[in-house]
Amino acid sequence: MPAFGYFEWSGRRGLAALAVLALSLCAAAQILELRVPPGVLPPEVPADNPPTEAKVALGRKLYFDTRISKDGSVACATCHAPSHAFVDPRGKPTSAGVGGALGTRNAPTVLNAAFLASQFWDGRAPTLEAQAVQPLVNPIEHGFADPAAVVAKLRTLGDYPPLFKAAFGSPEIRMERVGQAIASFERTLLSLDAPIDRFLAGATNAISESAKRGWGLFNSKARCNSCHGRIDVAPLFTDDQFHNIGVGVKKLDFAAVSRKAAAAVGSGASIDRLALTNAEASELGRFLVTREQKDLGAFKTPQLRNVAQTAPYMHDGSEATLADVIAFYDRGGNDNPYLDGGIRPLGLTDQEKADLVALLETFTSSDLARFAELEKSASK
Amino acid sequence: MKSMLLSGALLAGAIALGVLTAGGSGGSAASDAERARRAQVGAQDEWESRSVWACDRRKLVVVEGVRPGEKIPPERAQLVADVLMDLMRFCNEEITARISVDQVITVAANGRVFENYVVGGPLPIVNASFGEPTAREQAIWKAELDKVVAEGDRLFHSDELGSNGVACAMCHPNASNTHPESYPKFQTQLKKVALLRDMVNWCIQNPLEGKALAVDDPRIEALEAYILSQRKGKALEAGKH
Amino acid sequence: MYRNDMTRKEIERAFAERSREDERLIQSLRNCDRRHFLRTSLKFAGMAAAANLVPFQSFQLVNVANAATSEGGAGDVAFRFAYVSDTHLYARGMTHRFARAAAKAVEDVNALDPQPDFVLFGGDLAQLGRAEELALGQQILKDLKAPVHMMVGEHDWYFDMGEKWKEMFGPDHYSFDHKGVHFVVLNSVVEKDFWTTNGYTPEQRMNIVAGLDDGRQSRFEVGEPQREWLKQDLAKVDKKTPVCVFSHSPLYKYYKPWNFWTDDAEQVQAILKPFQTVTVIHGHTHQLLTNKIGNIQFHGMLSTAWPWPYAPEGLPAYTVQMLRSDPFNQFDGCGDGRFDALSKGRVNTFYNLWTRNPVEITAQQLATNTIPGPGGYKGPSY
Repeated sequence: MPAFGYFEWSGRRGLAALAVLALSLCAAAQILELRVPPGVLPPEVPADNPPTEAKVALGRKLYFDTRISKDGSVACATCHAPSHAFVDPRGKPTSAGVGGALGTRNAPTVLNAAFLASQFWDGRAPTLEAQAVQPLVNPIEHGFADPAAVVAKLRTLGDYPPLFKAAFGSPEIRMERVGQAIASFERTLLSLDAPIDRFLAGATNAISESAKRGWGLFNSKARCNSCHGRIDVAPLFTDDQFHNIGVGVKKLDFAAVSRKAAAAVGSGASIDRLALTNAEASELGRFLVTREQKDLGAFKTPQLRNVAQTAPYMHDGSEATLADVIAFYDRGGNDNPYLDGGIRPLGLTDQEKADLVALLETFTSSDLARFAELEKSASK
Repeated sequence: MKSMLLSGALLAGAIALGVLTAGGSGGSAASDAERARRAQVGAQDEWESRSVWACDRRKLVVVEGVRPGEKIPPERAQLVADVLMDLMRFCNEEITARISVDQVITVAANGRVFENYVVGGPLPIVNASFGEPTAREQAIWKAELDKVVAEGDRLFHSDELGSNGVACAMCHPNASNTHPESYPKFQTQLKKVALLRDMVNWCIQNPLEGKALAVDDPRIEALEAYILSQRKGKALEAGKH
Repeated sequence: MYRNDMTRKEIERAFAERSREDERLIQSLRNCDRRHFLRTSLKFAGMAAAANLVPFQSFQLVNVANAATSEGGAGDVAFRFAYVSDTHLYARGMTHRFARAAAKAVEDVNALDPQPDFVLFGGDLAQLGRAEELALGQQILKDLKAPVHMMVGEHDWYFDMGEKWKEMFGPDHYSFDHKGVHFVVLNSVVEKDFWTTNGYTPEQRMNIVAGLDDGRQSRFEVGEPQREWLKQDLAKVDKKTPVCVFSHSPLYKYYKPWNFWTDDAEQVQAILKPFQTVTVIHGHTHQLLTNKIGNIQFHGMLSTAWPWPYAPEGLPAYTVQMLRSDPFNQFDGCGDGRFDALSKGRVNTFYNLWTRNPVEITAQQLATNTIPGPGGYKGPSY
């Protein structure tokens, strides 16, 4: 069994550990401790899915398995490739699923996603487990009709039952377990070692002078820290909240659509009847999850770790480069009836914009290369 | 330098002490005043002075009229203790008090002698940096504070800190909703633990759209002074959200 | 089936018991099957709305007043009017945040479908009473499609004692009738002269009045001349006719140091007492504020410019408080709104809070003391 030398063995987790140990004598069932730098809060793990090496191995295999798609062409890794900081290597604004079908949203990175309070751009999945299973049954992603179809397909692949047995104690393949295994694997995809971290820990030469100026701007004139602030114990550069900055409002008559949706909620009418197209509904963002007027057009503040590697940007991939992103904020986003009241034009000079880009480049982990090897070892 | 002053004070104290205690024991070296006093008590009675030091070894009480070989009687001992504890409020001073047979207290400090000292009464011998402030000092300090608070009040209500005409008082009339007593705390807007003035600066930059003040800018000190003066009496609760 | 005192868990349980199909829908939403996401979540929202479970200030699911009652039902609305209030404009062009906010409110009102019968402007159009500020406000409000009734606030008045205001917008107190309701607009920010003896210039006088916590000014009142006028005006009105009073100050006594106060409130209320249905709609307080005194229901309007905190004391018990606002977001705690005038004469208040979920306070709830409050939040925020 490949042990990357990255995990620490820990059998000291109380009842859960005892139960797992009791169930399986295999060393692979020991609960893994997710290693994070000192002072950083580790990712939250659901009580019913503590990570073990067997689960991680199963999840890893599932993650890279293109057979788990309707036409055999799509795996998680297709749109979240380890060789490309876990985003889409094809670099288009949105990803293409089975049959080349294009979606409406840009694929976010899986790296460090374990730290986030919710998954998806509209936060509709509270955990990695809940997120992992949804693309499988999305007609434009993996393309299965429903969970039963996924399970049926997996059953035909003979190499899985023993892996399920090792991970969960029985060879039964269930959708829930698929999600748990993939989530366990994703929880090991952590990387918090970037030049900016070292700089903030005291290594004054870890970043350039331009980036240092950028950091100052990040926390003052450019106002980035308002939503992307770096908290020492949770250095993900996100507030885990949802804001309307007007990214997609120009693609449709957002003002009219959003007001109609708000009125529908206010009057108790069904939004179904608004007959929104997929694209229109998609731009309503978080509102579709909470039904709250304040969430119209609001999307999750993404984390900024490795942002220089995860182009293009925004929930619809509409900003191609970091410079475009800075220019977008410098303009004050796109006005619309539900624009976050904290957004305003910034008045940045060209030098300041360049400094900010230089800063963002220091958010790239120094050890991305080790993830590229994952792909090779998984296909064994 | 410091030790020179100290020994100088000790010397002065010793001289004063010498003056006071010269006639203390036995009868041979007694001054006229002492003899007269003894005559009042009972010239035939043998008596001696007893020295009692406070724990800091800087406050000394000399008790006169103690019978040789006997303890100081309880009431007089209580007076000794009261005097010592009272003198302790002059923290760093070397002070000697002499309690006469008829309970009259004389105090010597800084080379000066004060007659008829009363326990708890004023003793204007001390330097401003130790012990009780004088009335004048307190008046000066209050006037200074009022001036800074008034400046903070003016800034708080003015539009000069920002660029858009918004004043602090627009969201915080009478500094309400400022909660200075809850600092330091994790300030969500700053993504780290902050003090009151950090938040003041954040507000200047954000709703007021102005430029941040340096943390030692007199203006930010004035603003803090005003805010805290408006919230006098609130219990401290650092970290409360 | 649902009661106001139910906890969220109880409501969810009761809701789940409703029907098997509903249960399945809830389950599927929880597991969030992506492909059916849109369909199921929309259905769920429809169900929730049909069951009168409407998210309230996003704190808890709460039962909105039953639509079938005689007063306050949705079918009972006679007409609607909207409001924009307390814009506090500086004359610094349309990019200034207060101007943007005022324009945002105008957009909101113009987007209402159906359009309201008229719009009330609630006072404090200008910040420092300057002609340029009033002109900017007039220009912004001109974009309103519906007709506007103007009301004066102290920020409009005390630079030139209302000269410019009267020239631009007409008398500071007047009345009109609309669809069976008698509307009265008052200037309730009259102050006893504090400036002459002190020798204040108009600018100083305005700055003093503009300071909410500036104790050098006098307390607001309607004053004897206007009370006389009010008596005369109401003498011609039948006691059964619903009366609606627009006033900048609250016409009751909430917090004196901030002039959340009308000095002769009792006398004004006495003049209004004989009428069966009286509603007072006021500005100045920049917060969610509800009160009831005798036959009068009082509703405070939101400001577009900034929210005031709740006062240390005197807050009427009927008020559903909004949580303290986020200073990062210039629109938080601000907004506009509308009133649904009911056939019996009362109004339902609809607060259109920007960045927050809207809040509705119905006359029925106020009359029967059943206004739902945000879960667990009591008392002022400071």
